Amino acid sequence: MVNLILNENMKLYRRWRTWIMVAVMIAAVLIGSIVEWYYDNKDAQNGIAWQEQLKQEKQHNEKMVSDPEMDEESRQWFQEQITLANYRLEHNIRPESGTMWDGINGSAELVILITLFTVIVAGDSLAGEFTTGTIKLLLIRPASRLKILVSKYISMLMFGLLLLIILFIVSVLVNGLIYRFADMDLPLVTVDSAGEIVQRNMVANLWQTYLLNGVATIIFVTMAFMISSAFRSSAMAIGFSIFALFAGSIIVELFQAYKWSKYVLFANIDLSQYLAGRPYQEGMTLSFSITVLVVYFIVFNLVSWLVFTRRDVAS
Amino acid sequence: MTGEPIVSIRNVTKKVGRATIIDNLSFDVPQGEIFGFLGPNGAGKTTTIRMMVGLMSITKGEIKIKGKNISSEFEQAIRHVGAIVENPEMYKFLSGYHNLIHYARMIPGITKERIHEVVSLVRLENRIHDKVKKYSLGMRQRLGVAQALLHRPSLLILDEPTNGLDPAGIRELRDYLRFLTRTEGITVIVSSHLLSEMELMCDRVAVLNKGKLIDVKLIQDFIGSDHAAQNYLIEALPAEHALAAIRDIDGVKDAKPVPEGIEVVTERDRIPDILARLVRMNIQIYGVRAQRQSLEDRFLEMTGGEQIG
Repeated sequence: MVNLILNENMKLYRRWRTWIMVAVMIAAVLIGSIVEWYYDNKDAQNGIAWQEQLKQEKQHNEKMVSDPEMDEESRQWFQEQITLANYRLEHNIRPESGTMWDGINGSAELVILITLFTVIVAGDSLAGEFTTGTIKLLLIRPASRLKILVSKYISMLMFGLLLLIILFIVSVLVNGLIYRFADMDLPLVTVDSAGEIVQRNMVANLWQTYLLNGVATIIFVTMAFMISSAFRSSAMAIGFSIFALFAGSIIVELFQAYKWSKYVLFANIDLSQYLAGRPYQEGMTLSFSITVLVVYFIVFNLVSWLVFTRRDVAS
Repeated sequence: MTGEPIVSIRNVTKKVGRATIIDNLSFDVPQGEIFGFLGPNGAGKTTTIRMMVGLMSITKGEIKIKGKNISSEFEQAIRHVGAIVENPEMYKFLSGYHNLIHYARMIPGITKERIHEVVSLVRLENRIHDKVKKYSLGMRQRLGVAQALLHRPSLLILDEPTNGLDPAGIRELRDYLRFLTRTEGITVIVSSHLLSEMELMCDRVAVLNKGKLIDVKLIQDFIGSDHAAQNYLIEALPAEHALAAIRDIDGVKDAKPVPEGIEVVTERDRIPDILARLVRMNIQIYGVRAQRQSLEDRFLEMTGGEQIG
């Protein structure tokens, strides 16, 4: 099994394509962070300390709250901002804006790039062997088809994890260097769904964001695998999965009014909706979404396994 | 042929949808021989080979390799097999060496030394660290043979092995296969439609047509001394006189003019008498030779004269 994974990794990392993806990701982090820093710098040139700025914001928010035409949801949001500002001023904790964490948290958005690259690699990993015909020499060895499928799967997940680690290291390094590692121990202050102020470790929060997004990556990779083994075409597998990746959220928005749409994969794939306390439909819970995702995950894997191990290799 | 057959195919049928591709095939491949699968395109050679290596499922019947069922005991059965199925498709973005590492990792007990041994066996030492995409077809074919031999298989299956090889390459492969069967006792199965190649290479041939087994025979039997009557070519002048004279002789079953001389169907015993008569009639004889019926002729005969692709 270990040898099979080594093989898959060899086929992955001895290709230019893979390293170009890594390079593109590093470049995206660099550009994103530098652009962010550039605009932050411009704002900061007004020379106001964060305490002053926060007080100004607070005053503005208080005015908004007292506006009688404000709807309930917005009023609540402004109220939260005031509570946060009070807490920050009281405990002398500055906001992330204008620190290295702003750029680092912003780079976490690039997890979508990781999903994209991993899906491309996964779609090609299985279907590509059929397209080039190498599948024949691969399958006539004393290794069951299931083991080969699992080794490819693990190798893909490892690739996703590698990209995640690169994203973390590069974004921390770049933003750290830009801001000379100031405010490195800044905690994250948020209001939880119960309206209480919580103070958390920034790095832990970052990894929580990464891993919640990683769930989506795993589901999309699993889907790419299923399409790969069913259609045996890299183009089809990659095309379908990328389409799903971008069109998924549009699809669920279209059907949001219908009750059944909460069972659609894309309505559950973004688990961070529960962190913000704003689920896709009323009454959806984290455990509901996890259950739905697990069911999809099992079905996808079952289909790839059945199709891959049963079908004749005739190409 | 000693002991147990290395491959036994029993009542194997393959259906795809409603079409029957292989129809109730049964035969054994004896150990230590070079065994040929012969048949026109679509006869089922490649399908049979794909079922033997587990790439295709078997609808009915069973295939055993060294007594292990390829369907139910795949990993134990395939361990003894090295194969090239159609073209030797390798990972083009890897070097030849890394391709071999790749396959070596999939079977326990293959050392670095064995890899080097196989590389020098197929004479790729100088190019083994180049990417496969830079290889010529012949070199890919040799790398294909190398990967098939890595784990010292008892059975080597080569589907159309002479495809893309130049005549020198074909001869080299043929000699090498002979060498393998003699020294290491490997059994080789080759499929081909190059009948002349099969004739030179194989000990035994299974003829397939339309998914059915026509016959399994030793190559000598095929080419045939089993027929009492044989064809002889007699070159003699003047040709018309000679033809007329030969037709009158007892025991001559047929005689007809061909561009090289006169083709005579008769028994071997009758040859001295025919020659003596021609000499007495002052007919000049320039040559007599026995014409062996080639595998191709027999093959066409057996499959009803269908064109061989």
